Amino acid sequence: MKTKKYIYLLGLIPFLVVAFMYEIIPLIKIIINSFLPDTGGSFTFENYETVFTKLLYQKAIINSIKISLISAAAGIIVAFFGARAAHQAKGKLHNIFMAILNMVSNFAGIPLAFAYMILLGNAGVMTQLGRELGIQALADFNLYSTNGVSLIYVYFQIPLSTLLLIPAFEGVRKEWQEASTLLGATKGQFWTRVGIPVLMPSIMGTFSVLFANALAAYATVYAIMMNSISLLPIQIAGCFVGEVKIRTGLGGALSVVMMVIMVIMILITNAISHQFQKGGKQS
Amino acid sequence: MKNRTERGPAIVIIIILIYLLIPLVVSIVYSMFSNWTGIVPQGFTLQTYVNLFQDKTFLASIGRTIVIAIIPIVITILLVLLALFVTVVYFPKLEKYVQIICMIPYTIQGVILSVSILALYVSNPTFLSNRVIMLIGAYCIIILPYIYQGIRNGMRAVNMPVLLEAAEMLGASRIYAFFRVIVPNIISAIVVSSLLAVGIIFGDYVLVRNLASSAWPNVQIYLYQAMKSDSMKSSAVFVVIMAVTFLIAAIVLYLQSRERKGKKH
Repeated sequence: MKTKKYIYLLGLIPFLVVAFMYEIIPLIKIIINSFLPDTGGSFTFENYETVFTKLLYQKAIINSIKISLISAAAGIIVAFFGARAAHQAKGKLHNIFMAILNMVSNFAGIPLAFAYMILLGNAGVMTQLGRELGIQALADFNLYSTNGVSLIYVYFQIPLSTLLLIPAFEGVRKEWQEASTLLGATKGQFWTRVGIPVLMPSIMGTFSVLFANALAAYATVYAIMMNSISLLPIQIAGCFVGEVKIRTGLGGALSVVMMVIMVIMILITNAISHQFQKGGKQS
Repeated sequence: MKNRTERGPAIVIIIILIYLLIPLVVSIVYSMFSNWTGIVPQGFTLQTYVNLFQDKTFLASIGRTIVIAIIPIVITILLVLLALFVTVVYFPKLEKYVQIICMIPYTIQGVILSVSILALYVSNPTFLSNRVIMLIGAYCIIILPYIYQGIRNGMRAVNMPVLLEAAEMLGASRIYAFFRVIVPNIISAIVVSSLLAVGIIFGDYVLVRNLASSAWPNVQIYLYQAMKSDSMKSSAVFVVIMAVTFLIAAIVLYLQSRERKGKKH
């Protein structure tokens, strides 16, 4: 009986083969690569030194963190009001909103970049409208800049963050709001003192998903800026594809840095939401 | 109680909807008018679409997208079903590790996955350096979290241990019971997660660009190249891609809501 049971372990083999060949070994290899010099030789921190001392890569790290933070924060703020409205709305409007959010959450990458070029590019529809109507901010808007890219990032964060936050509003009970109104609190006080603290774990969880989402985004920004903006995903891909010389060591180090940034963000958001959960238990 | 939405939430929802729909609507209108330099678009025409669907390169790119979606999804579903059968039925302690392996791609995402696969196999002397094989491998991994979650949730919902026990008491072997009793019962979960996976592969650009942009130019690569030359044509390609994407999302939504309703009864 015992040996017969172990035969079934064979069923795991196909899964493990694919997982190891295309997930685990490539990841381990890229981490090992990051400690090997591109010029040949043995173990070194040279690649990490390049990443942290060369202006191009410093800028990539800072830009990536900046755009990810800004777009995640903007996404969370819109999502808070959107999800609250969705929670309060009833009937048809609620269903339409949910359906459109679900569909638009797939709207990203090259198609999204294209739509924004049509809308706000140099000869874009909105840009020309701005010129005709004399709205300078619209006419002079430069999509092909860090601000322009951030605007597109905000777009793809909103449906995702709203969808992720809507279930959390189930946790804010109606009775609490009624009770706080009876005790003389205003609506604003209720949300800052009760609502948002209760939602904080979900807000933080959503924030880290959004941050990771923006940090790894590649297609959108590549379509708009090609290689003329320094962001981590662009630099990483640049080390492996299309260049004369492939630099696996440097690319590996950049990849490791990007993964570490993601992990740090998850730890920070976990710590913050843990604080709020602890506070809840004490009271 | 009144069954109507108050004005505040309704306004917020409408503003967000307008914001989300403007880029879509503008691009769709753009694809149907030959001239849009003033405020109002002029010269309505569907000629762009007629030309597009006669363009062999475009049709081939659509065909490539479909092929490259189906193969990894079938492979991944089979791998995950088999792995979950073995772990859930015989080695529950190992399930945790299967779960970890399945969730890793969720955090590493496209760029790092594509360059690590590329770096590992690009100078491999065997068939592994084939770009299309690399792409299939990468897609299997990128859809793994969704397929795993879908199948695992489906298994929880049908109360698998009880079903297996019942089948065993009736004299069926466990493996027979799994594939003839459990799998048919979770087929809708499998369908939903496969559709999500189709959506992901259909919307992918980074993996195909880094791994196989010249070996397997799919519809996303086609759109990217069209963008450089002809904005009318690319807006038509855009509409085709978005129509397919939304269709997939709508089917998923419909199946999920039907499932939920079914459970309530």
